[in-house]
Amino acid sequence: MQPILKIDLSTGNTEEYKIPEEWERGFLGGSSLAARLLYPYLTKELNPFSPIAPLLFINGPLTGTSGPTVGRFVVCGKSPATKLWAESNCGGFWGPELRFAGYDGLWVTGKAKMPVYLWIEDGRLEVHNADHLWGKDTYKTQELIKQEIGHNGIHVAVIGPAAENGVVFSGIFCDHGRTAGRTGLGAVMAAKNLKAIAVHGKQNLPLVHLEEYAGLRSESNRTLKNDNEARILRELGTAGAANYSEYLGAMPAKYYHQGGFELVDNVSGSTMAEKLLSGQSACHACVIACGRVVRLEDGAKRKGPEYETIVSFGPNLLINDLAEITRLGELCDRYGMDTISTGNTIGLVFYLFESSIITTKDTGGLVLRWGDPIAVRQLVRMTANREGIGDLIAQGSLQLAKYFNAEDEAVQVNGLEVAYHDPRGVSGMALSYATSPRGACHNQSDYFFVDWGHTQPELGIDYFPRHSEAEKSANVARHQDWRTVYNAMVMCIFANIAPQMQVDLINAACGYHWTIEEMMRVGERGWNMKRAINNRLGLTAANDKLPKALLEPLPTGGTEGFTPDIKKMLVAYYNARSWDHETGFPTEQKLSELGLDDVATDLWE
Amino acid sequence: MAITFPSIEWLNVLKDKLNNDSRYNKIARNWEGDLIFDIQPAGNLVHSITMYLDLWHGKCRLVDYAPEPGKHPKPTFVLRSPYNNFTSILLGQLDPMTAMMTSKLKVEGNLAYMMRNVPTVLDFVRCCREVTSDIL
Repeated sequence: MQPILKIDLSTGNTEEYKIPEEWERGFLGGSSLAARLLYPYLTKELNPFSPIAPLLFINGPLTGTSGPTVGRFVVCGKSPATKLWAESNCGGFWGPELRFAGYDGLWVTGKAKMPVYLWIEDGRLEVHNADHLWGKDTYKTQELIKQEIGHNGIHVAVIGPAAENGVVFSGIFCDHGRTAGRTGLGAVMAAKNLKAIAVHGKQNLPLVHLEEYAGLRSESNRTLKNDNEARILRELGTAGAANYSEYLGAMPAKYYHQGGFELVDNVSGSTMAEKLLSGQSACHACVIACGRVVRLEDGAKRKGPEYETIVSFGPNLLINDLAEITRLGELCDRYGMDTISTGNTIGLVFYLFESSIITTKDTGGLVLRWGDPIAVRQLVRMTANREGIGDLIAQGSLQLAKYFNAEDEAVQVNGLEVAYHDPRGVSGMALSYATSPRGACHNQSDYFFVDWGHTQPELGIDYFPRHSEAEKSANVARHQDWRTVYNAMVMCIFANIAPQMQVDLINAACGYHWTIEEMMRVGERGWNMKRAINNRLGLTAANDKLPKALLEPLPTGGTEGFTPDIKKMLVAYYNARSWDHETGFPTEQKLSELGLDDVATDLWE
Repeated sequence: MAITFPSIEWLNVLKDKLNNDSRYNKIARNWEGDLIFDIQPAGNLVHSITMYLDLWHGKCRLVDYAPEPGKHPKPTFVLRSPYNNFTSILLGQLDPMTAMMTSKLKVEGNLAYMMRNVPTVLDFVRCCREVTSDIL
């Protein structure tokens, strides 16, 4: 990979950092490599908002190569929401453009004296004043920076007002609504007085076997384009399977307390395609194009919501109007907030209001009735601006619940709000959420696909019925290792390509001779590296758990009253992982086996 | 009597089943769309076979075994797959949604309609399974 540009915003010093070759080979790139690089700096005492906190933007070895769905980058650091490992990857065009500019990463520390933005073009860095951009929304900021620089080809990663106001689920945005949404890294960027990073470049990419790679790229993209799953994503968006998810009880409704959502078809990808869709949008060189472009009654084209946003502001809050959901998603994008955590935490407020734990005294007179988009819009605004109860929402569901002495009611894991794949419908998600290195995340292992029957026999990822439990624990671990490879590449999880093709692409790009098993080992190493970081930050076996709501049976709907036996699942999972049952640490032997002796020494001596 | 898939007998029994199964009649009451099974040679099936079904409001109005090409020119759906995948679905070894998501069953037609009518699709497959007692 290319060098990482280190930038200290306090001093203005910069340095080109060459990534050690053995770490590239051992961790591949993306978030796994970031974990290896940041390991010494992420301490328990580190305040994520302090100037010394690192914020690392990093690519994978295939980013920008026009391979299957590899136009992505990832941002890593310490999360202000969870105080644990933070990573959030993002599509669009920014990652490839950074690569074309000659860098595979930006390692930002320090704090600028006043708001600034960075402009990087073909290896040259300029720091620009951003006073006039502070307070502007994410779309306007991108537009203004493009005008200022006067260059059509640039791409800009930005934060919005929510990040400036320290909302712990604020993200980093680029290219019209592409987001590194989770874990609050937008607020970390804001704490550095860094409003945006604009990039452009024309340099060639470092591919070891260019011709071989070109052939594999064409073949894999052709196959992917004709894949049924890709066709569903292209034609219907990520909410294409919403009806099926609801049918299985995997789509949460009414803040995870209602079994099923009768009006699911009002908010499905099918309905969006038939009533609102005016086009598709794609990340760099992606043949899937899952992004939605919709037209509402005002005639303007805007980004259409994806599955998580639809459920977050739809069934989760009992709203069944796609146009309203679209507007709420756009509002979050403009303020720069993660729609999963925003909708989830607002859902908690509605739930506590219904339970009379929160009253109109707390809401400033706002009456909260399920299904009322006007009240939700008001709460979104109050959150971004930290007004009234919005100041509590801005701290995330766990802190809000603690404030009202209702900690058990928050549907979160380790401070990150649960995404919209209910483990009572698809049990593998119980382990995905409980053991994910960044809290209740569905992207570290989208195991619901496997529970739907999407197996990978070449990887030993087999089918277990959707309500099976401990018997699938080792399978989940295997799936996590595989997705860790995706997050290292950095490849979109919607790329349904054969594992042999995946390893062939890596080998051609990097000049390796890996087998599938060696590739999976790299995934396992990355997973354990992130676990070790979290262990150093204070995470133990006691953190691996599910919130109360997900362990209560729903009398109606597709869950069929099932609740996962998470304790039994975890015992089998720890055995499969060779993790110590008492501490939750990877065993010394496991770490050593993965070549992480220094980490083993830190954890165990 | 064993009903072998694929055959004229199988298709006719399926038609009767769909017209008389109260659960299917109810779940599929809003379904409007004809379909063609395009079964590709594999395993014990040497030549490809097509079967046509006209499904309408919870009933099956018409079936046609091995129709002349072009006789039903614009079916709402064409479901295409090698014979072994069809039989895996009929024998309960392969979930129909999984088959579709993983491209084991190719679908031509209105995906939006298909994806919003999952219960109908699954219940149609249940009926197919219940009339299948033998394969080639």
